[in-house]
Amino acid sequence: MSLAPDCFRAAGRMSFRKQVRVSSALLLMPLAGLLAGSTAAAAPPLHQRIDELVAAQAGGALGVASDDAEFLRRVYLDFAGRIPSAAEARAFLADSSADKRAHLIDRLADSPEYVRHMSEFLHVMLMERLGDDQSWQTFLQTSLAENKPWDQFVREILYPEVEDEALRGAAFFITKRLEKYGQNPVDMPGLVRDVGRMFLGVDVQCAECHDHLFVDDYKQQTYQGLFAFLGHTFIRRDVKFPAVGENLLTQKVAFKSVFVMEDLATGPKLLDGEEVEIPMLPKGEEYLVAPDKKKRSPGVPKFSPLRVLSEQLPRRGNRAFEKNIVNRLWWKLMGRGLVEPLDLHHSDNPPTHPQLMALLVDEFGNHAFDMKWLLRELARTQTYQRSSRQSVSAGDADQDGPVSAQSYRRGLERPLSAEQLLASVWQATGPGTAAAASNTDPQAAPEEGSTAATLDELRDKFTAALSNPPREPEISINPTVKAALFLMNDAAVLQLLTPRDGNLIARLVEIEAGEPAAHELYLSILSRPPTEDELAEVAGYLADHPEQRPEACADLAWALLASTEFCVNH
Amino acid sequence: MIRQVDAETLKARFEPHELQVIAADPQIVGAYFSPCGTRLVAGGFDARLRRWSLEADEAVELPAVEGHNGWVQAIGFDPKGTELFSGDSWGQLRAWSWDKHHVRPAWIQQTAHDGWLRDLHVCPRGDMVATCGRDQVVRLWSTTDGSLQRELRAHEHDVYCVRFHPDGRTLVSGDDRGVVKHWNASTGACLGEFDASELYLLHRLQDVGGARVLRFDGTGGTLACGGTTPKNGGTVQGAPTILLFDVASRNLQEKLSLGAPNQCLVHDMHLHDEGFVMAVTSGTPGQGQLLFQRPGDEEPFVKTTNMPNCHSLSLHPDGSRLAVVATNRGSNGNGRRLDKDGRYPGNTSPIHLLQLGPADA
Amino acid sequence: MPGPLCKPWEHQLSRRHWLGTVGAGAVGALGCGGLLPPVLADEVNQSKRQVLFVWIDGGMSQLESWDPKPNTQFGGPFRAIDTSVPGIQVSELLPRTAQQMHHLAIIRSLCTQDNSHSAGVGRIQRGDPKNRGVTYPYFGSAVAKLMGPGASKLPPYVWIKPGSGGFKHQDAGFLGPRYGALAFGDGQPPENLVRPASLSADRARDRSLLRQRANERYLQGRPSSVTEANSYVFDVAQTLMDRKELFDESAFSRKDVERYGSHEFGRHMLLGRKMLEAGVRFVKVNSYGWDTHGDNFNGHASLMPKFDQAFAAIIEDLAASGMLEQVLVIAMSEFGRTPRINGHIGRDHWPEAWSLAMAGCNVRRGVVVGETNPQGTWVESEEYDIGHMFHTWFKALGIDPHHTEYDNGGQPLPIAHDDCGVIEELLS
Repeated sequence: MSLAPDCFRAAGRMSFRKQVRVSSALLLMPLAGLLAGSTAAAAPPLHQRIDELVAAQAGGALGVASDDAEFLRRVYLDFAGRIPSAAEARAFLADSSADKRAHLIDRLADSPEYVRHMSEFLHVMLMERLGDDQSWQTFLQTSLAENKPWDQFVREILYPEVEDEALRGAAFFITKRLEKYGQNPVDMPGLVRDVGRMFLGVDVQCAECHDHLFVDDYKQQTYQGLFAFLGHTFIRRDVKFPAVGENLLTQKVAFKSVFVMEDLATGPKLLDGEEVEIPMLPKGEEYLVAPDKKKRSPGVPKFSPLRVLSEQLPRRGNRAFEKNIVNRLWWKLMGRGLVEPLDLHHSDNPPTHPQLMALLVDEFGNHAFDMKWLLRELARTQTYQRSSRQSVSAGDADQDGPVSAQSYRRGLERPLSAEQLLASVWQATGPGTAAAASNTDPQAAPEEGSTAATLDELRDKFTAALSNPPREPEISINPTVKAALFLMNDAAVLQLLTPRDGNLIARLVEIEAGEPAAHELYLSILSRPPTEDELAEVAGYLADHPEQRPEACADLAWALLASTEFCVNH
Repeated sequence: MIRQVDAETLKARFEPHELQVIAADPQIVGAYFSPCGTRLVAGGFDARLRRWSLEADEAVELPAVEGHNGWVQAIGFDPKGTELFSGDSWGQLRAWSWDKHHVRPAWIQQTAHDGWLRDLHVCPRGDMVATCGRDQVVRLWSTTDGSLQRELRAHEHDVYCVRFHPDGRTLVSGDDRGVVKHWNASTGACLGEFDASELYLLHRLQDVGGARVLRFDGTGGTLACGGTTPKNGGTVQGAPTILLFDVASRNLQEKLSLGAPNQCLVHDMHLHDEGFVMAVTSGTPGQGQLLFQRPGDEEPFVKTTNMPNCHSLSLHPDGSRLAVVATNRGSNGNGRRLDKDGRYPGNTSPIHLLQLGPADA
Repeated sequence: MPGPLCKPWEHQLSRRHWLGTVGAGAVGALGCGGLLPPVLADEVNQSKRQVLFVWIDGGMSQLESWDPKPNTQFGGPFRAIDTSVPGIQVSELLPRTAQQMHHLAIIRSLCTQDNSHSAGVGRIQRGDPKNRGVTYPYFGSAVAKLMGPGASKLPPYVWIKPGSGGFKHQDAGFLGPRYGALAFGDGQPPENLVRPASLSADRARDRSLLRQRANERYLQGRPSSVTEANSYVFDVAQTLMDRKELFDESAFSRKDVERYGSHEFGRHMLLGRKMLEAGVRFVKVNSYGWDTHGDNFNGHASLMPKFDQAFAAIIEDLAASGMLEQVLVIAMSEFGRTPRINGHIGRDHWPEAWSLAMAGCNVRRGVVVGETNPQGTWVESEEYDIGHMFHTWFKALGIDPHHTEYDNGGQPLPIAHDDCGVIEELLS
């Protein structure tokens, strides 16, 4: 199914640069219509407007829609953080109702698994494997459970609550970055940088000592202004939970460019915001709560730059703040940011789809920064639901590589986090019921009294084998020899492929005929029925190993678990 | 060591006041008063022996003495003050006939050690000088003619320091693993070991720390071993540390921890007859301390931090003055840093002459 | 010059930036990139040439090693000693290496651009090319890309190092993760190297075949890069499993262990020799802890003998077996150390005038190239940057540094700094 008018085909064969120009020009027309329509009561829903904007800039024929199985697997991975069970897959594939996709999106978005998966997603994105903390997890899960608006979420991170046990773990974002690691001193520039990267989509690190060499927008002032909000923070040692203390900020931050040795100074200042005036408080009156050395309590200053930051940064109208999160959520579902790298927004690196970005930002704001709403809308788009297979019928199979990636003419292959992969392996090899799938008990073992690894133990192993090192954003598919050896030889992984009460291998062993066994195998692992070739392969392999049925089943299952089809989100 | 009076009284009596600073350029390893008290003698990083006369109000540098190689790190006088001994990092040991006007060669041992001669000490009777070095050996030489009297070969590593007991019958030597050996000076028998291994750390490939300086108190009842409690190699860090041992039992009595890890190393010390330790430390460039502390006290009663990177300490024979060799500020920095004349600068060693006690005394 | 706190990759702006600009996504990052000209001559791919890259992290002092200046203001306490080549002296801290001097070339006229570790380590190992908005590969990744794994089928770039191991894809820069380093942390094999007893060799082969067929089916209608990368790591994993005896230290001869040293660096160097013998294209052996801002001379007195022992042993062995004809050996740091001795009796970072040692392949034997002034403060002969070294190394390996280019998704990129050239006097 192709939505693009034929006239765009030509643009698709032009060089990339030309294509952008042509497409922009062509865009004016649909955009005009869109703007006119937006004031009317019956504006089309956001997902339709997204599809129109994507199609207008596709530069070639759009690929076919995903089939139900492809969609099913994708939406489970994106909303529940795991593949569907064989039972769930059968039910969905058998469902003939027209709106079953929309229903599934809604059902998953409202499930407890959404809370778990989005907590994991935000944890990996925001902490970049620096570490973890129980109170931080509490904060994440509480926030996701109540679908906390993103601005409030960020506000709570930047000016962490101390009293409320459900919220105070938010401080971990800052305190973890104030810890020393190895022989390095506290990486204050790293904290400043990460606040910029995660919440504003700008990486100001290189502007610490001079204006950025390659990004005109990033001035030393940008860095130093942000630094003035954060540079006086420290980890409170008087309490057991993560908590941020603030030293008094009584004067501007002085700095000097290493290029032009001119003395400069700034108070707290956000990108293009107003500089915050530092109040001059009489000595002795600087604190709301005076520090108490005996109790090692650091006190609470009257003027809290963190509070000002939490008020100024996460708010409607701060375009950098809005674009950053919209871009990251788009990336999560579409496999590519409208701006890439995700943390390098600047005027010379504009969105691939400027109107789309503007639309998403506006609508996200109009919906009170509701992440679940936006993710649902994105999942409803045809853009999201396109097949990752090349549309052979579209006749442009040569259109591969970078150009088609940002055209969204085809679904993009995306990485699975260690957490998604574990949940999926656990699902695929387990009893195959939805109940097992939603089991989030960390102590859960495959069955009672088993010597096999618990989910918690497996989580540690999967994270160690499959995640990036700390501070390396997990944004691309990154196969490693370490991961391959883990899947090939790790005892805990192979243990999942021995027959036990009702698990995948046990069920396969019970099924005598090759064909139904192949169906159970493929639905359990790849969430789709097998093809004719695959049916034959399974039947043939089982027939070749009549005396070693459990082993043969394990081999067939392992091959699928180790395949690219299982290890990526496609 | 005997604690005689309280810390407040000691502070009143010994608090140092700066008299003058002698600019030693280029930098030196350490500087020491001659027994007559009118000269300072210093060994350089530039293979020279340097001398200053202290007879006028301002110190006057006298012509340097040539003949050494590498670093002149080991310097000592005999008790009478008529002979000077110096050793260098290429292994050469020299004896000089000394008076305050002349320095004349007496004898030379070209290869007293294979490589770095790290320390020497003349025995109280004045007839023997002990040396030690990177070749893992301690040697005893006749002060009269430089003939080798004895070789002590029980260390398995670089020997950093050597010291005679005040009674002259035994001596101690310390190595880079923190092993301190106790020797009979006349038989060469090893009597036992003092365990200073807490001053040593193997970090990655590097042997860090070791027993850097050894001193007895005046009675010979206490042995002090100075160095650092190492945290890491590379840019060595660790709390400056002095271990105090009971000589009779060779047991550790007390550990003095003298600062943060960036203060690093005790480079020199003296055990004062009034029952306190005088020590200098050098750490991260800019960090340096002169400390007076009584055993048993938590804190030093004197601590100065205005002299960066102190490398030696010498108590004047009359007990009223101290010479501390420090380093100029801004002694470090990566890459090409030139002075105002566009030249690549070396560092210097300000020698601080300090009055102990009230400035008007 | 960048500021002191900038991260290494940020002044070259990263591969991510380039991708951001041209618009490739996750897939593009997996490194397509053939070469321009598209196919490198077969002779290079078939070449038996290998590299041993000894990385002394933190900065070995040139004055305490390859370029001693005894009895000068900054010369330090140590003596210079004669070597097996008349007229060439090195520090007394290199007694065994001095006896191998007839195999070595020392270059004493390095003058590089960066005096910070954080940036310097990357800049040096990436050859510090002109900024083209991409992150260049480390030398090991470059050789892995340009020369391939060779006949051994072992990973082309292995890194033997203290500390943690794993797959270090960051080294590969824009070439894409498959050209990263496989690191053997603490000299140990990667985890899970041994096939469990419960799985027979036949089954292991069968299931691998099934996996490959599944991938072929998945590929139909999809771009190949993700699946290729995925298949590649499984292939390498299998080859390593097949050669696991390489890591068996108990099989090392006692004599070898004594000669190389039982310390960490000696053991790692010996493992490095095994890897070279097994045919690994590029072996990096890494030592850490050389940043002697404090106590430099006692530090080098302790560190250098361990380097000397292991380095002299491997040179001797490679020469004796004839492998030195094919193996390019490089021993270096990210910079040297300041002549000036600081208050902590240390030396600081010094890219202005420093040294490295090379051997093997087409490198001339028993020579010193370049010289510093008598004080050791500046280079007196022509200054050579790391770009010159990259040109020279590539040429020694049989790769024409001027006419070979990378293809970064259509962007042609020189493999070494455009303004530098080969140091001909280093090559025979």
